[in-house]
Amino acid sequence: MLARLALAAGSVLLLGASGAAWQWPLPAWVPPPVVPTDNPMSIDKVELGRHLFHDPRLSRDGSLSCAGCHDPARAFTDGRAVSPGVTGETGSRSAMSLANVAYLPVLTWQNPQLTSLEVQALIPLFGEHPVEMGMAGREQALFAMLQGDPVYRRLFARAFPDEARRGDEALYALSTLTKALATFQRSLLSFDSPWDRYRYGGQPGAISSAARRGEDLFFGEKLECYHCHGGLAFTDNQQHARSPFAETGFHNTGLYDEDGQGAYPAAAPGIVEFTGDPRDAGRFRTPTLRNVAVTAPYMHDGSVATLREVLRMHYAPAGRSALQGRGPNPLRSEFIAGFEITEDEIDDVVAFLEALTDERFLRNPAHANPWSAARVGPR
Amino acid sequence: MNTLQILSASTPAPAALLLAACTAAFSAPAVAADLQPMTLRFAAQVNGQPFACGQRYADIGTTRSTITPGDFRFYVSEVALVDETGRAVPVTLAQDGMWQLDNLALLDFEDGSGPCRNGTAGTNSEVRGSVPAGRYTGLRFTLGVPFARNHGDPTTAPAPLNLTALLWNWQGGYKFVKFDTASSGLSGAHAMAGAGHGGGAASGFSVHLGSTVCASAARTEAPSSCQNPNRVTVQFERFDAATQTVVADIGAVLADANVDVNAPRTSPGCMSFPNDADCPPVMGALGLGYGGVAAPGPQRLFTVR
Repeated sequence: MLARLALAAGSVLLLGASGAAWQWPLPAWVPPPVVPTDNPMSIDKVELGRHLFHDPRLSRDGSLSCAGCHDPARAFTDGRAVSPGVTGETGSRSAMSLANVAYLPVLTWQNPQLTSLEVQALIPLFGEHPVEMGMAGREQALFAMLQGDPVYRRLFARAFPDEARRGDEALYALSTLTKALATFQRSLLSFDSPWDRYRYGGQPGAISSAARRGEDLFFGEKLECYHCHGGLAFTDNQQHARSPFAETGFHNTGLYDEDGQGAYPAAAPGIVEFTGDPRDAGRFRTPTLRNVAVTAPYMHDGSVATLREVLRMHYAPAGRSALQGRGPNPLRSEFIAGFEITEDEIDDVVAFLEALTDERFLRNPAHANPWSAARVGPR
Repeated sequence: MNTLQILSASTPAPAALLLAACTAAFSAPAVAADLQPMTLRFAAQVNGQPFACGQRYADIGTTRSTITPGDFRFYVSEVALVDETGRAVPVTLAQDGMWQLDNLALLDFEDGSGPCRNGTAGTNSEVRGSVPAGRYTGLRFTLGVPFARNHGDPTTAPAPLNLTALLWNWQGGYKFVKFDTASSGLSGAHAMAGAGHGGGAASGFSVHLGSTVCASAARTEAPSSCQNPNRVTVQFERFDAATQTVVADIGAVLADANVDVNAPRTSPGCMSFPNDADCPPVMGALGLGYGGVAAPGPQRLFTVR
């Protein structure tokens, strides 16, 4: 382990010679994320990844970039319940926020196997069910496009000097493409909300008294939100440089109960799809609540429109499915017990959640689209 | 003369690779004299007719539909010839850096033309390797990618594990079989705007075979095993590689399926996922159990002629 870390440090120094070294733009109280040893951070890789992320030419018809479903202004979500790909086919789960994705040891709503951000990029690019960017079988055309664009020739050579020395086949490849996209995503860090300034930044007036009351409710035993939505990014899925191991959390919150025995709709059944354990029906990964006020609609399929409804129509009755009249989902987490909550208390919790919005993150020019429409086509 | 002695048309470089592989396997000098080259020929058909991209085939499945396929590729592995004592002797594959890797090979019958435009121009209908000299009467192989290779890093995998169309990114691993087709029932009314660029995708009927319900020991580790490996062992008691060909007829896999419909909110056709009403006839024809129901018999995709 130490030898591998030393090796990683050594390779960072080597890269520093030909490309600027990476500094984590994090406040002192936030530990840095874990980065794979075969894909260390660099400014040049982040810049290449940013160009790729915003480039609709990475889709079959040139209409859809990663940013098409992951819009920086919405904390990298898209405001839709589910989203269409280039053929019009929609998925069954909502585009997730990429803020602080570097801290997530497992990716997407219900796939416990997906532990690599590099490999995750293959799904929207090349997946066939659903078709998203529609590039299955078209990777050679994609590499030819990258190689033929002088902007990418410069960016790839700077980001991957070792591969550049080995030739174009090594330089324009699935490996470098996904590494660059992952590196850009790891640079998406959001820890500068009013609540952060109030809690860690020595600014007690940074949030309203309503938000402070909401904070008490959020971290209290009546609502128990913090049991799953605790941690650096308000999710119990977390790994960072100072944690000894990864923590993951998949929970059934009782949103659905199709059969009276706890099952969710077949198109998005929960991690049971991978584990085969019937008790895993309806278990989904806890998402972050940072910037939640700008990431509506809510839940894995976007089926709850507002934060007020999340509280009143879902968590208060011990899960939305309990409203069907058959009782709450028998497989739901033990923390979904339901609670009495007044409208004023809902106002306070919503004020707290709104205080988790990091405005600078939403407008950060370092994450913005570097292309003009004339260059890559309209989006 | 040994009936299995086939003069291969290989150029010196691949022959050197062959010898290098053999040397690695047996680690003894003068190995070449004890080995003989071996070519296993495959042919692809749809209900007895040769497979070709863009060709129409009638009388498919329970509705006797007409289909226009857009892809037909599959991986085989663990190829072995069976000798007279019934022993399976592994064939050592030529490492060609394109179609064959370790003990697996990709067979590719689509040529990238017409509706196969998401495929590759190259095709491959043979598995090439060598076996110890001897008399062989039978054949055995596995349909699928071996577990040890199925869950590696797809972004750095060598050929033939580096084709994005054959990655099975969501489940992890590879599509052991990729067959896509439009059908008379699933290319008109059900086609979405902008679809029809190739078989499969938003409409059409696909057969994608792969391992499912792969669990890990811990939440963030690679899978250690799969509840449904979905690999098929194929065996022919009487097979002469010198004169015979293994025929893969996808029509037999679709014979009991309705290719004109797709169960709502499931993947188009059968993509091996659990709880898909389109899968039982397809998985059954592949000789695989599905949804707790044992396979009705051995696989029907492959025959010999």
